[in-house]
Amino acid sequence: MTTEPSRRIQRLRRRALRSAQTAAVASPSNAPDAPDAPDSTTAPRVSFRDAPPLTTPVFEVGSLSVFYGDHEAVRDVNMTIGDRQITAMIGPSGCGKSTMIRCFNRMNDLIPTARVVGKIRYHGENLYGKEVDPIEVRRRIGMVFQKPNPFPKSIYDNIAYGPRVGSFKGNLDDLVEETLTRAALWDEVKDKLKTSALALSGGQQQRLCIARTIAVKPEVILMDEPCSALDPIATAKIEDLMEHLAQEFTIVVVTHNMQQAARVSHRTAFFTSDVDVKGERHGRLVEYDETERIFSNPSDQRTEDYISGRFG
Amino acid sequence: MTSTGSGRRVASGSPGFLKRSQPRYGEKAVKVLLVAASLVSVLTTVGIVIALIPPAAEFFGEVSFGDFITGTDWSPLFKPAHFGVLPLVTGTLMVTLIALLVAVPLGLGAAVYLSEYARPRVRAFFKPILEVLAGIPTVVYGFFALQALTPLLQDIWPGGEGPQVFNALSAGFVMGIMIIPTIASLSEDAMNAVPNDLRDGAFALGSSRMQVATRVVFPAALSGIVAAIVLGVSRAIGETMIVAIAAGGRPNLSFDPLEGMQTMTAFIAAAGIGDLPTGTIGYQTIFAVGSLLFVMTLVMNLVSIRLVRRYRQVYE
Ligand SMILES: Nc1ncnc2c1ncn2[C@@H]1O[C@H](COP(=O)(O)OP(=O)(O)OP(=O)(O)O)[C@@H](O)[C@H]1O
Ligand SMILES: [Mg+2]
Repeated sequence: MTTEPSRRIQRLRRRALRSAQTAAVASPSNAPDAPDAPDSTTAPRVSFRDAPPLTTPVFEVGSLSVFYGDHEAVRDVNMTIGDRQITAMIGPSGCGKSTMIRCFNRMNDLIPTARVVGKIRYHGENLYGKEVDPIEVRRRIGMVFQKPNPFPKSIYDNIAYGPRVGSFKGNLDDLVEETLTRAALWDEVKDKLKTSALALSGGQQQRLCIARTIAVKPEVILMDEPCSALDPIATAKIEDLMEHLAQEFTIVVVTHNMQQAARVSHRTAFFTSDVDVKGERHGRLVEYDETERIFSNPSDQRTEDYISGRFG
Repeated sequence: MTSTGSGRRVASGSPGFLKRSQPRYGEKAVKVLLVAASLVSVLTTVGIVIALIPPAAEFFGEVSFGDFITGTDWSPLFKPAHFGVLPLVTGTLMVTLIALLVAVPLGLGAAVYLSEYARPRVRAFFKPILEVLAGIPTVVYGFFALQALTPLLQDIWPGGEGPQVFNALSAGFVMGIMIIPTIASLSEDAMNAVPNDLRDGAFALGSSRMQVATRVVFPAALSGIVAAIVLGVSRAIGETMIVAIAAGGRPNLSFDPLEGMQTMTAFIAAAGIGDLPTGTIGYQTIFAVGSLLFVMTLVMNLVSIRLVRRYRQVYE
């Protein structure tokens, strides 16, 4: 009863999930092991989101490789990221997801040994062009990190930080209120704007960090495992927020949580780490497609193995 | 529930199977040695205070504390003797202030550079050099001020007479150079202790390196930085050799840095070297000035400890 579900049971459960997708009606009788599997009641509830078309790409990545010194952490990635949708990046630890997402706002510039080879076009413009100012890039393409990292300042000053360094002209009070409202945090913090952000709970801190990011009015928000330090309730709040923000922003999110990827994203990229003929380990993009397809009918065996091994 | 333990039980009549604790004499001996080592510094401090009190008390039996602390004429070894300590205090503060004007900007600049701009290899090269600077004997700094800096200042001084042979400016300047390593190294430690998460967060919001340094790292490390400065000040107040050599030995209630002036430490050194007979008022002045100096540095250090303590709590 309490032993780990075997591979066979997982496969059955996956089949149950798949049929639930197509039938759109959950029927426990599809899954013979339904009474025993703890997730059999929740799995059929997953409903994938329709992916908007990629006609107006925000990022076009071509033959991208990233090196740390001599070590090639990510090799030959090609993908296109669409406007105002959520793109998830999944894959085993160390396969280069963080490395990849940090390319999009040139955070890798800050790591002395990191070197990016290949092309990333942002609205058709070379993101790594000589004339491009990385500071400007990061104002347009914000980032939320795995561990909530509010500044040891007041809640207000955390939100106001980005606009201030960007020499924002206008009413800062209004901007702070507007931003916190959009991040669904205003009601919780409106009476303590002057208290330290470190006094908030982890989930609130992370939403503050998201708010801090949107205060700069970026176009893209990159999130590297934004919920991995949070409990399920805080996670659910962040997921709601992401869905809401995706109407306005382009979001790229790295996650280890398959269900999260399945729930919130429109498209999913699966990375893995490969060993080449020379014995060098490097990260690769295996498959990139609409989330529904990745989770229900992946074309690569490795994707299928990864998802079936972890999903549920 | 089951008989998992029975198989492991030692057969020879011992009741438990956990190993008996044994007295660890070696560990106890080491502990005693360590306690003794830490007591040495405490006892030394206590000893100094005890040694200071009786002669200082005798001194204040003859000279009122008010006259001492507010008097503007310091000539304890001449007749008629005057015991106004203010010239020594202003001399000390003057030199210390000049030292801080030099050391704080340069020290903090160096710290910001090493912590926020320098690549790891550059930092690994510079940090030890900085710390070696702190090991140069102060007598070397003193002669540098007297023999190199003062003549240079006299040469290049635009108009007027320029600094005297003994002057507070050279002494303070060189003392500032001397405490740069203290301020730079400790501030750099404080800034380095600021988590990289915060820097990443700030960069991701479109900050320049300077903005990250001044708006995020510096405030987060502020208490550590202030503690570093306070420690620098304590060193400056207590420094003797540089001022004895380069600032002269004449008590002088003046705020002109181009004049020579005597500091409290320089007076103590000068009077201490002379053969003042025990029990005379001249001998007791040394202890009175010493007590005042002790109180001043003690206050500085208490402030410093407070700040360091607060600094520890910042990221929790
Ligand atoms: N700053 C760095 N310097 C050198 N190597 C690095 C650095 N950051 C990452 N790497 C290496 O690059 C590879 C990919 O790391 P990355 O952090 O991108 O993986 P990840 O997919 O985000 O993993 P995780 O899921 O554990 O976060 C790893 O082999 C890692 O050791
Ligand atoms: Mg990562």
